[in-house]
This record gives sequence, structure tokens and C-alpha cells, in this order.
Amino acid sequence: MPPFLSAGPFSARDGEGRSLFTDVSIEINEGELVVLDGPSGSGKSTLVRQLVGMVPSSNVSRELDGEVYSGLQLPRWRSRVTLVAQDAPMLAGTVGENIRFPFGQRCAGGCAPEESRLAAVMDAVGLIGIPEERDVGTLSGGERHRLALVRGLIWNPPVLIADEPLSGLDEDTAVSCFELLLDFAHCTGHAVLCVVHDRALGAKAGRRINLVGIHGESPP
Amino acid sequence: MSSLIELGPLQLAVATLLVVAAGVISLVLRLGIGRRLAVAAVRTVIQLGLLGLILERVFSLRNPVVIVGILVLMTIFAAREAASRTTRGYRGIMLDAWLAMAVSCFAVGGVVTQVVVGVEPWYEPQYVIPLIGMILGNSLTGIALGLDRFLDHLSTRHAEIELRLVFGASRREALAAPLRDAVRTGMVPIINAMAAAGIVSLPGMMTGQILAGAPPLQAVAYQIVVMFMIAAAVAGGAMMVVLLAGRHFMGPDAVLRLDRLRTAK
Repeated sequence: MPPFLSAGPFSARDGEGRSLFTDVSIEINEGELVVLDGPSGSGKSTLVRQLVGMVPSSNVSRELDGEVYSGLQLPRWRSRVTLVAQDAPMLAGTVGENIRFPFGQRCAGGCAPEESRLAAVMDAVGLIGIPEERDVGTLSGGERHRLALVRGLIWNPPVLIADEPLSGLDEDTAVSCFELLLDFAHCTGHAVLCVVHDRALGAKAGRRINLVGIHGESPP
Repeated sequence: MSSLIELGPLQLAVATLLVVAAGVISLVLRLGIGRRLAVAAVRTVIQLGLLGLILERVFSLRNPVVIVGILVLMTIFAAREAASRTTRGYRGIMLDAWLAMAVSCFAVGGVVTQVVVGVEPWYEPQYVIPLIGMILGNSLTGIALGLDRFLDHLSTRHAEIELRLVFGASRREALAAPLRDAVRTGMVPIINAMAAAGIVSLPGMMTGQILAGAPPLQAVAYQIVVMFMIAAAVAGGAMMVVLLAGRHFMGPDAVLRLDRLRTAK
């Protein structure tokens, strides 16, 4: 069976022109949570940004669920292979606007967030007490990270790419957030790629990709 | 109506005493700007003197091609000035500024001179050059402010633009917020000027017409036309320059190319 998602080849150099990785292709199966690991500076964020198409790339092919996405279809690709970016960026505005803005964009096709699921996920990450009218500028770093994760999960893309979604969270919260990602990945028609440093959590993943001094995927 | 009182060399010499008085104040208070004041005063005389000589020649011209050529030249200088006023830049900023400037000025200027004022013949330089010149001077400010704000937004708030992109925003959706921000900023000066017109400030053109002996209501009518045409030109010019600039930083694949932004100028 062909993989659910396949994309590549990706190559990147650091600021001084040294090669970080060369010709890396990524394949993810349906129902799988893949952990991407490696020391800081090894190019994990660069790789996931290339995967979702946030940096210029040439001769890269992207395929999801049997459908090939060209350069002009990158917006649609991103709406289906969605990045929860590092450092949990937020729009200036309220918590509610930040959760709901993707549904106002054209690619949402008029979909609305599932309110019961939103409440359940907010509860699971411990944000249930935060009103939607609250300004995101007043959130703590950990709350922002959890809100970014909630936004990604509620958007409900086939593939969620999360870049260090657990940073700044205490151990218990990190575990419950990771469980949410695992549950999400195990649903039909879904998969997750997650950059995580925590070895204990990483061990729960279906497969690990290590980005240290390798030129390609390491075996599971 | 009184006719125009002509100013001769004697009158100008007396006026020079006034700027000398300003220089004396600067010296007494040790403001350290005496030299700059002197240079500025000399530049005023030379630049305006040259302009006067040129305008005398231009106003006697009866050749529409030459007049349109002068107008195009004016837009090029205005575009250069607008592009040089932004703190950030990119390759092709001059061309974008010129296109926005030329299109907005000729569209608005065309409507004003041909439809509102009804200039005869259509290229009559006494009307066309000052009117287009006023549009240029003001849309220059609007375009420079809008462009500067847009590039600043791209640079400082790129995380928000990329956040929209990762959820599948199209180029238009991703750039809508910086565009609104930029056009709003570009329009602030003209909105302030319109709101304060006649109460806080007497607009320069109106004052000039009154001094030249025009009936005040006529001068007011011209000033209203000028204010409105500037508002249209600024809105159109700022929107257009930002749309053009946006295309440099984001292609149809909606990848934000901040590497094309030049910071140091």
C-alpha cells in the first residue's frame, strides 16, 4: 500500500552554507504518529517548514492520500497538512478569534469548528476556564502553546505537523497533550508528525526519524 | 476685487531681513542651526527661482507632447522620492512606486482637469501642471507612508502572516491585514488635513488664490476639489503600490519571501 503522505526530496543548508540534510524524503502512513528528533540546529524546523511548503523549494513532490499537489496548490496542501509552528504564533486578538480564524478562510469551504469537540479538547489540555474573549497577549507561554495545539486539532486536517508543541509545559500537561496527538493520529484518515525532545514520550510514537548526521530516514 | 500686487526686488530684500532675523535668534540662542538655515534660505531662492523660470517657459508651451513629457518626468521624480523615504526596500520598489504614482495621478488628475474643471485645451499647462503637481506631492506622501508601513508589517508581523498561510490562506487572504494596515496609514495625513481644513489651517493653495485676487468662494471651491482629488489619489496610489509590492513577496504559491526584503538602506 502506498504511504498516506509522501513528500520530498528536501535539502537544506545552515547560515554558513554547511549542509544540514540532503535529499530527505518523508513518508507517513495513515494512523501513524511519527516523531522527528535531533539536537537543536539540526534542521528539524527547517524540514517541517519545507514539508508544509513555507519556504521556496524546487523539484519537490507532495502527495497525500493518492492526490498530487503542485506548487500552485500549496495553500490547499497546507490546509490539509497543517503546521502547528514552533513558539505558538498568535494573531493579535482574542482567544476565540485565534481558534476560529482558519474557518473564515476560503479553504475551509464553509466548515465550522465542532463545538462539542472544541470544549472537550480545551478541557483535555486544561484551558477550559479561559474565556474566548480573552486577549491572547495576556496568556502565559504554556497556555499559548496549548492554545496553538487546540487550534491545530480543531482544524482537523488529515495530517498535523507539530513543531515542539510541548515546550514550556509541565510533565503532566505534556503527557496529556501528547496523548491527544496520539489519539488524533490513530483516527481513520489522520496522521501526525511531531518534533519532540522528550525520549519517554517519543517512545510511545509509532516511529522515530532522527535528524543527526544522517542523509535520509533512519529505520524504525 | 483687488488685483495682484506685484513683488519686486525691493520687497524681496525686505523679506530677506525676516529670515536674517531668524538667523540672529539662532545665533543668540546658540541653536547651532544658523548654517543650515542659511543654506536652506539660499536653496529656497535658487530652487523656486529656477521653478519660476521653468514655469514661465512651460506655461507658454502649446505642445501637448512636451507637457505630457513633463508630467511623466514629474511622476518619476516623485516615485524616486517616495521609494527613498521607506526604511526598508526591495528590488523593483522604484518601478512599483512609479506605476502606482503614475496610474493614480493620471486617473484622478484626468478626471479633475477634464471633467471637473474642464480645462481648454485639455493640456492647458497653467491648470494641468499645478493640479497634477499637487496630486503628486500628496500621493507621494501617501505612497511612501503606505509602502513603509507594509514593509514594516511584513518584517515585524510575519509570524501572523505565516500563521494564516499554514491554515491554507491564499495570497489575498494572507496579505489582507498588512494591506489594510498600510492603506489606512497612508490615508491618515489627508484625512487629518480635510478634517482641519479651514479651522486649524488655511490651505496653501486657497490662500494663494485669495492673495492673487480670486473671490474667496471660488478659492474654496478649488480647495474642495483639490482635497477630494488628493484623497482619491492617495487611497488609489497606496492600495496599488501595496498590491504591487505584495506580489514581490508572495507568488501564487503563497510562500512568503522575506529574503527579498532589504533592511539597511
